[in-house]
Amino acid sequence: MEYRDLLEQLIRAHGPSGDEEDVCQVIQRNVPATVDEVTVDVMGNLIVHQKGNGPKVMLAAHMDSVGIIVTHIEKNGFLRFGALGGLEPKAIYQAPVRFRNGVGGVIAVNENKAEKEFKLTDLYLDIGAADETEARNLVAVGDTAVFAAPILKNGTRLISPCLDNRAGCVALLAVMQQVKNPVNDLYFVFTAQEEVGLRGAKPVSWSLEPDYALVVDVTCPDDVPGALHEGTTAVGKGTAIKVMDHSMIAHLAMVAQLSRLADEIGITVQKDLLKVGGTDAGAVHVSRSGVLTGGVSIPCRYTHTPTELIDQTDLEACVELIRAFCESELVRR
Amino acid sequence: MLKLTRQLCAISGVSSREDAVRDFIADTLLPFASDMRTDPMGNLIVFKEGRKHTGNKLLLDAHMDEVGIMVSGYTKDGCLRFSFVGGVDRRVVLGKRVYIGTERILGIFGMKPVHLSTKEERKSIPKLESLYIDIGAKDETEARTLVKLGEVGVFDGESLLFGNGLLKSKAIDDRAGCAAMIKLAQEELAMDCNFVFSTQEEVGTRGAFASSFSVKPEIALMMEATTAADLPGTPGGKRVCAPGSGVVIPYMDGGIIYDRKLFEQLRCLAEEHHIPWQTKEYISGGTNGRVYQRSCGGVRVAGLAVATRYLHAPTSVAAVSDLGSMLRLARLFIDRIAEED
Amino acid sequence: MNRMETMEKLSGVHGPAGFEGAVARTAMELLEPLVDEVHLDRLGNVVGVKACGREGAYKLLLDAHLDEVGFIVMGHEEGFLRFASLGGVDARILPDRELTILTDPPLFGVVATKPPHVMAEGESDKTIALSDLRIDVGFSQEEATRRIPVGNPAVFREGCYALGADRIAGKALDDRSCFAVLLETLRMLQKSALDVDVYVLGSCREEINSAGATVGTYGIHPELAVAVDVTFGRSIDSPDEKTFPLGSGPVIGIGPNMAGWMTERLVKKAEELELPYQMEVMSGSSGTNGWEIQVSREGVATAILSLPLNYMHMPLEVIHQSDVENCSKLLAAFIENLGEEAALC
Repeated sequence: MEYRDLLEQLIRAHGPSGDEEDVCQVIQRNVPATVDEVTVDVMGNLIVHQKGNGPKVMLAAHMDSVGIIVTHIEKNGFLRFGALGGLEPKAIYQAPVRFRNGVGGVIAVNENKAEKEFKLTDLYLDIGAADETEARNLVAVGDTAVFAAPILKNGTRLISPCLDNRAGCVALLAVMQQVKNPVNDLYFVFTAQEEVGLRGAKPVSWSLEPDYALVVDVTCPDDVPGALHEGTTAVGKGTAIKVMDHSMIAHLAMVAQLSRLADEIGITVQKDLLKVGGTDAGAVHVSRSGVLTGGVSIPCRYTHTPTELIDQTDLEACVELIRAFCESELVRR
Repeated sequence: MLKLTRQLCAISGVSSREDAVRDFIADTLLPFASDMRTDPMGNLIVFKEGRKHTGNKLLLDAHMDEVGIMVSGYTKDGCLRFSFVGGVDRRVVLGKRVYIGTERILGIFGMKPVHLSTKEERKSIPKLESLYIDIGAKDETEARTLVKLGEVGVFDGESLLFGNGLLKSKAIDDRAGCAAMIKLAQEELAMDCNFVFSTQEEVGTRGAFASSFSVKPEIALMMEATTAADLPGTPGGKRVCAPGSGVVIPYMDGGIIYDRKLFEQLRCLAEEHHIPWQTKEYISGGTNGRVYQRSCGGVRVAGLAVATRYLHAPTSVAAVSDLGSMLRLARLFIDRIAEED
Repeated sequence: MNRMETMEKLSGVHGPAGFEGAVARTAMELLEPLVDEVHLDRLGNVVGVKACGREGAYKLLLDAHLDEVGFIVMGHEEGFLRFASLGGVDARILPDRELTILTDPPLFGVVATKPPHVMAEGESDKTIALSDLRIDVGFSQEEATRRIPVGNPAVFREGCYALGADRIAGKALDDRSCFAVLLETLRMLQKSALDVDVYVLGSCREEINSAGATVGTYGIHPELAVAVDVTFGRSIDSPDEKTFPLGSGPVIGIGPNMAGWMTERLVKKAEELELPYQMEVMSGSSGTNGWEIQVSREGVATAILSLPLNYMHMPLEVIHQSDVENCSKLLAAFIENLGEEAALC
């Protein structure tokens, strides 16, 4: 259960796309002292190096969450905003949000549009300011905010904002702590700006030039009422091995290797196929002359809402599989 | 700055056919450049040494290309079929003039008169496939001898000053940026600068891929034109910015979240030196910045822009004062970056 | 091996985007006798190298993609398969469509379709979305799940046939017919002394995101490239201005994606040899691997040469033999002494 505290710490840190400084620092504080090197690059990606003699392996999990950014302050004190990442108007309507400086707000819709199909531009942010002056004392154009909802726990099930992808970050931190003598040359990368287009992953892959890459992220499951079958996983059924999503098709050799390892260590896995949605792997696999890329996913319901849902046992299974991969004999290709 | 901007706007340079613009800039800057080269994508890269020798640390970018049309076919009666080069709203061309090829053959975007249009037809804009350009040829054979497939056409858009300090012209996007960079390159600079006059921005920020790879800067400053929607009836949250309200310093657009620290530096400089500035109060548009930021190992990117109404149309409108503000702030930015270690 | 045999061989092997192993092996076999060496790169692209022997020679990349559109299994329902497409497939052609499920050994499948008496009034006029279709593999739920797991790919089940006197109809002629063009071009140049090093890229994954061309080009680092892909042939129901009649010659691309001097060189060579050719104006993305190739590293001078093809992304695509012939002749003429002209540009 020690993952839970770590997860809660990360969830509470402010880190929407493009404004990840806080969550970056929280992650850094939790990196074991035994690692060889910790750096932050131009894009804000956090790179932790655990030296090994084998091929270079990049393990990536994005640390940014979706959020909103203030674009305009109305004379009456209400705010207009833009999306940081993919947001569905219906999914964020009436959501509570919090700015880095602690100011709270609620997302609401223009009253005259409430009954119809509304767009993101019909939404506004209410921070309870009486007028423009009061609003400008609280926030500025360009300030970012994230969902502010409680973390609910039912046994191993968690309902919380930002599980996408603080859960993935926790998985990497756990692996980092558990891998004592890395066979391979490990780079744990906590990427920035994934939600706005895999923007951190692209330059860091270019810089590191890994032989292998394993991307850890959440995936959308197919286990809710009226499911449209856009995915193939279910919450609580184990870690998922990425086969395909909108951003890439996983390298067949990686899928085979991960499946074999799962068998060896005796954990159940699912296959992760997603029609819509992508991960950092989309940027990593086409870096330079190509990287052998695979993915390990945590099924997560209701992504990009204040109330995402995962099963911690899936997260734990991910950690086991990633660790097995890190400790396996990899061939330099 | 105004005179130079107007001169540059008058030159024809549709995406991928920027030769005339590149030649003008190369001729103008030859006496001032420490090094000048054209890369495989046609970008003109001008390196100018400054007082502090910082090599490739800083890059400034403005694109040379403008939107236009490309001839894609002929009709039996001697008119031309075309497609747009870059994102152009087809409503803005109906009934207007276009100049095709290096010969500048005059064409008119034709459309049948309202009297002959049915009520239904008047409700919508004809599809691109049914639009045509009339060059006065008597038949297809004559049209084929006058204009080749793939020739480009520029909008007519002579520049003119009007109203209260406003400039109307074609191609303010992005000859305004090019003008500012030319001015800077003609001055003594605090540090080395790479001035990239890029190609094919309008068809997908294409030139920037090449220049980002060959220069590999640490910091890049985009000098652009950006959409202003400050029209009556537009809600405040969608106006974005307004000509005359100062140089635009964006924090984010449709393709990039600008480096937060650089944004703050620009904002502070503008305030300190009393340069009127504004930001974009709506997330829209895109610049070459999105390519530079994620190129190679990553680049810190900032942007400056001139607020322009009716972008990507024959008649765009910007404020003369904003042109000067952009130049002054860019100069201060170079000075400030030069002070860093 | 003659042209028909080559087409049959390439068409008959299966390789949907992301799963090109089998077709890559066949492509390597066919390429090997014509180049100095062949290998597979990290992503699964086939790379063949033919050095010209001159020091400092430019590198010319010739690209044709090996992947075809296909399908991938997403789930099981009462023994029937739920699936998604790999690449763009028109759902309208799927009802009762025969598929080859790429298990080992391959299995037969057919897309299930409702009989008339079960359908509502007017239902047969509407398109059924791909997500609502199911593949019938004739197994029970248990057996289907065990034998055809989630993630298993599938392709159209079709062959390759002579159509009329001079056309060929076949599966995956997009873009294997163009790989065949590259083979024919190399054969024509076997006795020639070239002044460029030729790299043949049989790329993977074009149909989903051109990943193969992106990494392949980066790895090869050419100065020059020609992407050979198919373009829309003219069928009776297609609009004139976007299509090219079969048999009227290869199509030369003109526009921002293509280097002007290369377009001009192709036209000049076609005229010199009195070959039929057509021009395709593309004012933005060409929609081919050429778009990714052009912006690799510091930029690559790129040309796009296309074969008109009818019924693109359908199980049987159609090309004209004379277009294949003329395309190869044009490409061969383009390549001879290319280095000389490239040095001036």
